[in-house]
Amino acid sequence: MKILVPLKRVADPDNANKVKVTAGKLDTTGMQWKPNPFDEYAVETALRLTENGASTKVRLGEVIVLTVGPKEAETQLRGALATGADRAIRIDATDDDLDGDVVARAIRAVVEKEKPDLILVGKQAVDGDSNQVGQLLAEYLGWPQATFAGTIKSEGDTALLVGREVDGGTLTLRVTLPAVVSVDLRIVAPTSVSSKHSPTHTYADGVRFAALMAIMAAKKKPMVEFKLSELVSDAAAKIAYTTHELPPPRKAGIKVKDVAELVDKLRNEARVV
Amino acid sequence: MIADASFLKSLFCGIIPESMAFPFPGPSRAEAEETLAILDTLKRFMRTVYEPQRGSLDSPISQEILTEAGSLGLFGLSLPRAYGGRQLSPTSFARILQELGALDPSLALIVRAHQTLGAHPLVRHGTVGQKARWLAKMASGQALAGYALTEESAGSDAAGVRTYARSEGTNWVLDGKKIWVTNGPIASVFTVFARTSPVEEGIKPKLTAFVIDRDDGIITNAGINMHGVRGVQVGTLLLENVHLDASRVLGTVGQGFMIAVETLNHARLASASAASGSARQLLDLSIRYARERAAFGRAIGDFGLIKDKIASMLSEVFALESMVFLTTGMLDGAGSDCSIESAACKVFGSEVLQRVAEGAGAIAAGRGFASGHAVERGLRDARHHLVLDGTNEVLRAFIALSGMQAPGRDLANVVKAMREPIKGFGLLGEFAVRKAKSALGRERLTRVHPLLNREVVLFEDYVSDLAKNAEKMLRRHGVAIAEMQYSQRRVADLAIDLYALAAVLSRTSRAIERRGEEGARREVDLACIFAASAEKRMAANVAGFDKNDDEQRKNAAARAYQDGAYPFELF
Ligand SMILES: Cc1cc2nc3c(=O)[nH]c(=O)nc-3n(C[C@H](O)[C@H](O)[C@H](O)COP(=O)(O)OP(=O)(O)OC[C@H]3O[C@@H](n4cnc5c(N)ncnc54)[C@H](O)[C@@H]3O)c2cc1C
Repeated sequence: MKILVPLKRVADPDNANKVKVTAGKLDTTGMQWKPNPFDEYAVETALRLTENGASTKVRLGEVIVLTVGPKEAETQLRGALATGADRAIRIDATDDDLDGDVVARAIRAVVEKEKPDLILVGKQAVDGDSNQVGQLLAEYLGWPQATFAGTIKSEGDTALLVGREVDGGTLTLRVTLPAVVSVDLRIVAPTSVSSKHSPTHTYADGVRFAALMAIMAAKKKPMVEFKLSELVSDAAAKIAYTTHELPPPRKAGIKVKDVAELVDKLRNEARVV
Repeated sequence: MIADASFLKSLFCGIIPESMAFPFPGPSRAEAEETLAILDTLKRFMRTVYEPQRGSLDSPISQEILTEAGSLGLFGLSLPRAYGGRQLSPTSFARILQELGALDPSLALIVRAHQTLGAHPLVRHGTVGQKARWLAKMASGQALAGYALTEESAGSDAAGVRTYARSEGTNWVLDGKKIWVTNGPIASVFTVFARTSPVEEGIKPKLTAFVIDRDDGIITNAGINMHGVRGVQVGTLLLENVHLDASRVLGTVGQGFMIAVETLNHARLASASAASGSARQLLDLSIRYARERAAFGRAIGDFGLIKDKIASMLSEVFALESMVFLTTGMLDGAGSDCSIESAACKVFGSEVLQRVAEGAGAIAAGRGFASGHAVERGLRDARHHLVLDGTNEVLRAFIALSGMQAPGRDLANVVKAMREPIKGFGLLGEFAVRKAKSALGRERLTRVHPLLNREVVLFEDYVSDLAKNAEKMLRRHGVAIAEMQYSQRRVADLAIDLYALAAVLSRTSRAIERRGEEGARREVDLACIFAASAEKRMAANVAGFDKNDDEQRKNAAARAYQDGAYPFELF
């Protein structure tokens, strides 16, 4: 199975340098970057789906990671190559010029060249939280889609049984490949992903990490670059950001004496009851 | 060893080899990216493997965790690529050790002792056959390596080694006991230093290094209960009638002393790298606690005296980090001799960590006094840096005497001079001659950003003071300089502060160039704070050369030794 995984870099929320806003624009200087966690789950899912239980050395299929972003975003692609992806594609673009729609159209162009059997996306990126690219992409391609996958069972690599996380529990869908599937957090639980050729061991919870030798070897794996304009004729974003603002700092909490005071505050200050 | 290609050694002659320290070195983009990828893997390993399995941080790290660390590649970080290691540059290796020092000082010690103490002699002095036999196993972590020099009668003074290797034809038979071997209880290969000349009173032994497998008949004990770094197992090696063939001699017979010293020179920088990470970790804890803990209706961090502690910690950690990564940058490049610089890093690193841990203890107060609290453990873990890889007392003498010795001389001579002051002086005497000129540098510092002009003047003035006083001490004490530990300490402390200051000025200048004055505000502030505190210490040291109570202090101690105890009873 050939799987394409789009992967976005996001600002590392654990880093001390937080995003700043200067004159209504996002200022990302000095920030540390990491792969969007949901995209990492998608990479892990792709690796598990192409794992060969009979011989751990040879993958049954190919995992291609792709990003739309500046040169520096290759760091995150190489990270994915080190964990086991086979090759990488970067579509050169500056973050400011993108929205979910341009990204989806750019990926569609790559899909037409590469003809993967499956596109695995993270359900959303933890920076913009738009939750759009997977859905738009499926629509543009005219492919079936299943969003928020918590489990995936491959049926002979021609269809997938996808357990979708929905409000009421799990909704199981059968999608015929090729398809677009977006993944949620639980997809990286030890037994969430299976196929006929899965290895017999259960996985550690979470995503795998690269052994140090693999980090070095990843430098030799193929990485190709496209210009955005080579792939989409109209690269204009449909969403225009007029301004950015940081959320106001949280006020300190207060302690109330008793329930009566609480009710009073809720009614007269917060005006919620 | 090119003695003159040393930044610190040049300072001793009043010469500032600016191009060695400016611009502040850093890895290439590709190397930085790879190092960050390794750090990322390391953090994930800690979260998913280490933390769930670790249990009490005051018990030995389990074999399971060490095996996983081995398959990750942690034990081959600095070992040669040809044998399956990663052969990281000194800078990348230091950066990883720094992170390990922050995550768990015990794991940092296990990892660095294996590579920089246990395996390093083989990397530097092993034959192709010896390397093929052991290095691949060491790089994969399948075989941990120990370094066995210390004995009951030989701590700081390696010449006190009693373990004896008797030659039998081309073979060797070893008998003796080694103590304080890091990883001893779990290692399977050891570099053991034994005398290959018989014990003769007053005569320095010839030492020889041997590579010995556990299977050769080495008996190790279960390890001692230690005050700190309790995740590490440190224990005794017993060698009884251990038969070895000639293939086990590392280097040549009689070269052991040099190999032991050279290995320690190398290990010191690793100590400082790990210490810088541990210090950073304790500082971060303190910053968080100062913001959160409230007293008298405010966060304790609001009080001036807490701010003062945080500011001192920040400036010292900044200086230490700058010093370590200036040194690794020098090693990445032309391969200058950084043995004095590494010793300076080790002394400064262990003492900064000590002060930071004490500051963290003061800020955490009662909570930090509870057994098992991060700060309490931090204080205990910090202390091993003071002792291991040469005590700070011995290293101060080493820095001073190495800095003052004649050019082109081997470092082992310095140790000889410490042991045999009279004979040793010949080795040091030519110092004055080389004061004249050097192609390496000039007496001014020109590449520092003008914002730091005041600090530049300070640096230049004290470099000149260091050179003047080093020469004056040599003239004044002549033969006896090797015995003059008070003067040695002043010289060494001046040198350490000057080296730290050079590193801080270089790093801050780079920050200003990259991010402008406003963008580099934090660095500039810390540079000024560090310079001001270094100035106080340096002024006291310079004044102390001529006006001091050294003799009184010596006499007081001598009388106390005679008395055998504190001599007074109040009533
Ligand atoms: C955690 C840990 C791990 C260790 N791991 C190893 C290892 O893997 N391999 C190994 O071989 N050893 C190891 N050691 C031993 C360590 O190297 C020695 O403890 C160290 O060399 C000091 O020796 P000593 O303890 O005998 O102190 P001593 O030499 O007895 O020194 C006692 C005191 O006298 C001072 N002193 C000694 N000589 C002088 C002098 N000339 N001038 C001024 N002061 C002096 C010292 O600075 C110290 O303050 C380890 C130690 C520790 C604590």
